[in-house]
Amino acid sequence: MKNEPDDNDESLSKLLREWRPDAALPPRFQEGVWRRIERAEVPAARSVWGTITHWVGAVLPRPALAASYIAVLLAVGVTAGWAQGRQENARLKDELGQRYVRLLDPYLAPRR
Amino acid sequence: MKRGILILVFGLVAAAAAYGCVYFVCTAPARSLQNREKPELAWLQAEFQLSDPEFKRVSELHAAYLPQCQEMCRQIDAQNQEVQKLLSGATNMTPQIEAALAESARLRSACQQMMLQHFFQVSQKMPPAQGLRYLSWVKEKAFLPDYGMNSQP
Repeated sequence: MKNEPDDNDESLSKLLREWRPDAALPPRFQEGVWRRIERAEVPAARSVWGTITHWVGAVLPRPALAASYIAVLLAVGVTAGWAQGRQENARLKDELGQRYVRLLDPYLAPRR
Repeated sequence: MKRGILILVFGLVAAAAAYGCVYFVCTAPARSLQNREKPELAWLQAEFQLSDPEFKRVSELHAAYLPQCQEMCRQIDAQNQEVQKLLSGATNMTPQIEAALAESARLRSACQQMMLQHFFQVSQKMPPAQGLRYLSWVKEKAFLPDYGMNSQP
């Protein structure tokens, strides 16, 4: 009676050592585990510089985010260029219009 | 980290390049006008959508007007000097000052008549709708009290 539990433990341990799972892991199992670990970790308070370096090093290289970042900056560049260009174009044309009138009006013409 | 910095820099360079390209394209029409031999007339052609024959006729009128305008400038300058000379030592109104001021007013009126006649002639060489738009714009520039120098055509 006394030896029975020990024998069971021994046989269970032996069985566990010999056991090899034959089921395949689901796709991206490891990545999923790491993601859950990441999520579970309580984020330590970072400095501003630390946040920036973390963002640049770990977050920005993600393909979707990188593409969005570049698309947004491109859109900002195009919009700013268009707005400024349009304004400058209007200014230059207005200046030419004023020069035309100064050419014809003796009271506005620059005196030599 | 290196990849992140590369993406960061690439984004900024792409934004600057996009800004430069779009700005360059948007200002190209005005820069092209400024580089023409007679930018003011080139502007007139572009602004009032003149065909080449219309532009040729307007240019001829312009060329014919300029010597008259220069002669008027010369007379105005001479008259201004005369008025300044009379006013420099004056303490009372004199018949000479009155005559000089009257001559200045006459010159101004003659100048405005000459300009207005030129504007009418130019507008008649343009397509009717553009001619009206030209007249409305140029009258505002040359005949309003403040000469309307800040308004768009």
